Amino acid sequence: MNADMGTLALTVSMLIAGAAMVTAIASWRMNRPGLFTASRRLMYGFMVTVSLGVVALLMALMQNDFSVAYVASYSERALPTGFKFAALWAGQEGSLLLWAWLLAVIGMVVAIGQRKATGAEPAVMLSAVAGVCAFFAAMLVFAADPFKTLPTPAADGHGLNPLLQHPSMILHPPMLFIGYAGFTVPFAMLIGAMVTGRADDAWVGATRRWLLVSWLFLSIGILLGAQWAYEELGWGGYWAWDPVENASLLPWLTGTAVLHTIGMQRFAGVFKKTNALLLAGTFILCIFATYLTRSGVIQSVHAFGESLIGTFFLVFLLVTTLGSIAMMIWRWKLLKSASLEKLGVKGQAFAMAVALLVLMTIITAVGTIFPLISSVVTNPINVGPEFYNTVVGPIGMLLLAVMAAGPLLRTEADGGNRLRRSARIPGIAAAIVVVVCITLGITITWALAAAAITAFAVLAVLADLLGRYRIEAGRDRSVTMLSIIDKAHFRYGGQLVHLGMIMILVGVIGSSLFNHRDTFKLRAGQIGHIGRYTMKFNGLAEQREGNFTAVQAHVDVFDGGRSYTLHPQMRFYDKAQDSHSEVALHSTLGEDLYITIAGWDDGGKLVALQAIVNPLVGWIWIGGITLVAGGVLSLLPRLIRQRKSATESASSSGGATPAPAKLAEVSR
Amino acid sequence: MRHAKAKITVAAVVLASALGLLAYAGVQRGWVYYMEVDGFLADASMHTQRIRLNGHVDDQDVVVESTDLKASFDLLGETGRVPVVYHGVIPAMFKPGCQVVVEGQLDEHGVFQADSLMTKCASKYQADEHDRMLKQLNQVEQESAS
Repeated sequence: MNADMGTLALTVSMLIAGAAMVTAIASWRMNRPGLFTASRRLMYGFMVTVSLGVVALLMALMQNDFSVAYVASYSERALPTGFKFAALWAGQEGSLLLWAWLLAVIGMVVAIGQRKATGAEPAVMLSAVAGVCAFFAAMLVFAADPFKTLPTPAADGHGLNPLLQHPSMILHPPMLFIGYAGFTVPFAMLIGAMVTGRADDAWVGATRRWLLVSWLFLSIGILLGAQWAYEELGWGGYWAWDPVENASLLPWLTGTAVLHTIGMQRFAGVFKKTNALLLAGTFILCIFATYLTRSGVIQSVHAFGESLIGTFFLVFLLVTTLGSIAMMIWRWKLLKSASLEKLGVKGQAFAMAVALLVLMTIITAVGTIFPLISSVVTNPINVGPEFYNTVVGPIGMLLLAVMAAGPLLRTEADGGNRLRRSARIPGIAAAIVVVVCITLGITITWALAAAAITAFAVLAVLADLLGRYRIEAGRDRSVTMLSIIDKAHFRYGGQLVHLGMIMILVGVIGSSLFNHRDTFKLRAGQIGHIGRYTMKFNGLAEQREGNFTAVQAHVDVFDGGRSYTLHPQMRFYDKAQDSHSEVALHSTLGEDLYITIAGWDDGGKLVALQAIVNPLVGWIWIGGITLVAGGVLSLLPRLIRQRKSATESASSSGGATPAPAKLAEVSR
Repeated sequence: MRHAKAKITVAAVVLASALGLLAYAGVQRGWVYYMEVDGFLADASMHTQRIRLNGHVDDQDVVVESTDLKASFDLLGETGRVPVVYHGVIPAMFKPGCQVVVEGQLDEHGVFQADSLMTKCASKYQADEHDRMLKQLNQVEQESAS
């Protein structure tokens, strides 16, 4: 029943999306606005039918309908309801269905947004979105059918992979997919502007909002994935440069780059070629990433099996890449930018940031597919984490250094001199911090560089905000710090995002350079020491929970004057053949104590515990939250009602250089 | 103007050489061949460097000393086998018959000393199971069609 409904819904949705794509194009070529309306309505229809498909699979999961192969593979009767819901995207077919549904939601939002639109550009844009929707629907129908049924229904399912039974893992894939799906719209807008030969830059205003939202979700997805790896995989790290992780990083890097340069295009007509390449590149990298991880071409710890889906993605990848290249060659003249010189030192810094981000993208991409490239001439060569840490790490550090100076950059002609002046205090602070670090015995170059960047970045933000406050308060006594921030959400939201990145830097440097680990063989009552912690092992106990049995160690930890108990577990899930280690974590702002059971002997009387002390790792997650807060702040409309708005606008429009002033405010 | 151009050229050269140096250092440290057991046995040049080796754990003579963080076993290819001693935390998914990737180097006694062990079956067993189920399904469909 569920399966029939699902198959029917998906087949119809594929036809609808195809029809929407064709009618939108037809409305432009035949100049019939009625067809555009029809196309918009078809996008609503696509949303409804794909939703029916999702509902069908959800119902099959909730009703334990093990006649559906997908349900039998990824769920079980004893699975908690929340995880049954998450099983919707635990497998290949389900996750592609989720992606298609997110595309449908986005397609509907676009269609609603174009309610009053007319003309060629919205039509081409909508057609491009519909085309991507049609591709995903076709793949669900022909290559990744989530509704294949078993000839004889299974009595119970195989259950969800124990590793995936974690709260971060429930949210991680949807967040990534919202990001991936979201990047479709900026790409479609680019196609709309290019195909119809639009010469002005007003279209990039809406593009930036879509970019920012997609980028935010992608960031959240990546961070949740890192947190999941940290808490669930038990090796004490959060990022391993695995192909699947790299795959999500690639569009994030290019997305970050274009997020910075697109505002510049709107206000100064620069970076046009860069933006076109980055917008197309970001979308293509999302598809490329998925191709890498879904086709089985790259060996990865968490890759999916080989399948026809890979072929689908490869064809789509080729079509979009070649199409984008052709489109850009065709419209190359449209992409003629104004000179970057008029943006002064700020323009130079942006160009440098983009170059560094693109460099990181290329190196990461080459490293990820290096086993493929090298297998042409020799045995496949893997490049491990060391490669990325040595090559991408320093480039990233340089990028963060540029970022730290962000608030001090000006577009005016004397921006260079101003930068030198305003960098004095943050520069001195950075030098002091470095000296303090050295006297504390920290001599690792990377740590010192990170400390200097952190001090500089924080002071630069504060100095900029205070400086602005002084100037504005001198003119108008009613000005407050909040009203200044409220006047320029994009600027200060961006700075908050940058502070988030700095916190992440602190966490990464602290945990990767200063962690220490040890293993302890303990009998009940025995004691082990690591760092400032004393751990007393008080025996193993067995405990039954929902769909697994846990062997749990009782470890009393004495930490200065405080004491608490940690319970690392080894879990034996009913439906998995293997055991699975569950980390016990005590997290503070200064450091994490991270304990896992490595094994036991002698009937559980002797246990091996692995303990890791990870300094500052919590700042990665705090930085993540800060980054999201900054992104949200950028998107919010002005909150404080303006007084004297009339006089203000009169004075600003009468100013000598309205464009750069606006640029300084908005293009951050 | 000429001055600016020279500046840019110098900056580009410095940046490019720095990058080249980085890439060289990265490759020195991060470069590991990935091989199957049989290919590894046949190629003596691989016996003196760090390798990532893929194979199956033999069912016989697997010694796991989980509290000593040590496991010794034979890694099987299609025809050959390599004795492996692994030092480190034993992954929970590790067991005889399982597909693993070990990373390390052959010692003078012909024993592969590994410091990294990744199990392949764990994260893929469900996908494999799902594939197997779909294959069976196709067979049933073909039979009923003929």
